[in-house]
Amino acid sequence: MEDEEESLSSNPINGGTQSESLDRARQKKHVAMLERLASRHQTRLENSLKSAETDSSSSSTLGFESTSSFLSRFADSRRSIEAQIAQCRLTNPSESTQLKPQLDSISASISDLEKLVAENSYFLPSYEVRSSLKAISDLKQGLESLSSDLVPKKKFSFKNKAPKKEREKDPSIETNREKEKEAEIGKPEKMSFRVLESPGFRDKKGEVLVRRFSGSEIGEFTISDLDSCEVRLMGCVRALFVHRLRNCRIYGGPVMGSILIEQVEGCVFVMASHQIRIHHAKATDFYLRVRSRPIIEDSSGVRFAPYCLSYEGIHGDLQEASVGEETGNWANVDDFRWLRAVQSPNWSILPESERIGLINISNSDNEAEEI
Amino acid sequence: MGLLSIIRKIKKKEKEMRILMVGLDNSGKTTIVLKINGEDTSVISPTLGFNIKTITYHKYTLNIWDVGGQKTIRSYWRNYFEQTDGLVWVVDSSDLRRLDDCKMELDNLLKEERLSGASLLVLANKQDIKGALTPKEIAKVLNLEAMDSTRHWRIVGCSAYTGDGLLEGFDWLVQDIASRIYVLD
Ligand SMILES: Nc1nc2c(ncn2[C@@H]2O[C@H](COP(=O)(O)OP(=O)(O)OP(=O)(O)O)[C@@H](O)[C@H]2O)c(=O)[nH]1
Ligand SMILES: [Mg+2]
Repeated sequence: MEDEEESLSSNPINGGTQSESLDRARQKKHVAMLERLASRHQTRLENSLKSAETDSSSSSTLGFESTSSFLSRFADSRRSIEAQIAQCRLTNPSESTQLKPQLDSISASISDLEKLVAENSYFLPSYEVRSSLKAISDLKQGLESLSSDLVPKKKFSFKNKAPKKEREKDPSIETNREKEKEAEIGKPEKMSFRVLESPGFRDKKGEVLVRRFSGSEIGEFTISDLDSCEVRLMGCVRALFVHRLRNCRIYGGPVMGSILIEQVEGCVFVMASHQIRIHHAKATDFYLRVRSRPIIEDSSGVRFAPYCLSYEGIHGDLQEASVGEETGNWANVDDFRWLRAVQSPNWSILPESERIGLINISNSDNEAEEI
Repeated sequence: MGLLSIIRKIKKKEKEMRILMVGLDNSGKTTIVLKINGEDTSVISPTLGFNIKTITYHKYTLNIWDVGGQKTIRSYWRNYFEQTDGLVWVVDSSDLRRLDDCKMELDNLLKEERLSGASLLVLANKQDIKGALTPKEIAKVLNLEAMDSTRHWRIVGCSAYTGDGLLEGFDWLVQDIASRIYVLD
């Protein structure tokens, strides 16, 4: 009831109808707002006082833009947090009145450390950002396991989870995955009026699929559910979505926005784009020209090499899409599943001796080539 | 440091707004932030971690946290919830297949206690792409009308490419936050 009254005046879009309860609701809301304001004000005050206090020492903060000074400050805080966690382990778990504030203070230190990374991330090399984030997530895990070991309640919920994990190993996971798949396939039907309109190649086996884009139809294009097909795209598009392909060869002209590739296996891609994101790819080779760093996630056995496509007019197309020049980014792959210093085991550079040569798809009009 | 400068500092802080930008990977968050700030948007890599931009917008200072949306790092989002005044949820309106993912992640976010007071701006991005869903259609798919009635929200169509709609969206967001927080000024 009360909630309803409040909603009358608080939704700015609906406006709300006039009613007697409106004034009462307003009043109530006003009080709530004052309370909220007061507490906000308090935290802001505290924060600004805190930063005012540290200002004398943070005059150096302004000139703090060096990786090495960041790293040493990060390392110090990290060590101190690790020490706090270790020390906390030694405290008697029964003194739980002290435990809670201790855990809270460690958690606050970790947040501070995270903020430190955030504030400096604009000048840090991306590797340092990644490894710092990894270190922070390790600290969080350390804290989590500490609290689940020391706080009895947590321990209990931990046990609760165990059977679930075992169930995951059960063959019934297959049926689960089937269901997921079904759901996924079933869903587009809800919006089928749109999906049908959306241009693309879908549900084909063993075919050669050719498409030339002309300037007027620049939009999005989808390639999905293909088995053993060869796809040739000429001209520019703004966005390309690729989903569920097996044993396919995809040769594409430039994409002016991004390419999103999900669930592909045993394929070869030759593509140029501003951005390329690869999820759930297995045993697939990518010949790329990209303006930014290609990324992979949940992938394995993927290999990378430079772009090698040719068709009549490709130079103009590449120029138009601002991917006229080699950037070398095809080799600068970030693996979101591998945020570590050592090379990710999930991707590699395709050895020159194993690369395909220049692919020419100029005369693609008449023939249906065998694959 | 003298008392006066401390007071000045507090005053300055008062005009600050903390804005959290989230959404699936590839939705265009980083592009939007750079576009608003008048920066080059032609070379942007997927965000590993996050970026912070401080932008002066009318008389307010916006601290915009642009957090990466790749699946692996979505679990980090919650680290940025604290003290968020405005939440910007960015949608790739041309990515029909992942709208369900998009809805699920948004629903999870809106359950967050720490975000319960934040104004919500949904940006239906990439309207320049032929075949993109309209803001109305996106609102329907995300079932925005069913949202908790105490939430202040709005959906705006935009394109980070052309810049269309961005100011309209942020104008609403800043006004809405200001009317809630700085009403005593
Ligand atoms: N056509 C078009 N493309 C866009 C628009 N906004 C962004 N893009 C493209 O979409 C891709 C993704 O943009 P980003 O800004 O990197 O996306 P993000 O949301 O920051 O992604 P994460 O950092 O991984 O979370 C880029 O290739 C952009 O060029 C738009 O309005 N129209
Ligand atoms: Mg980004």
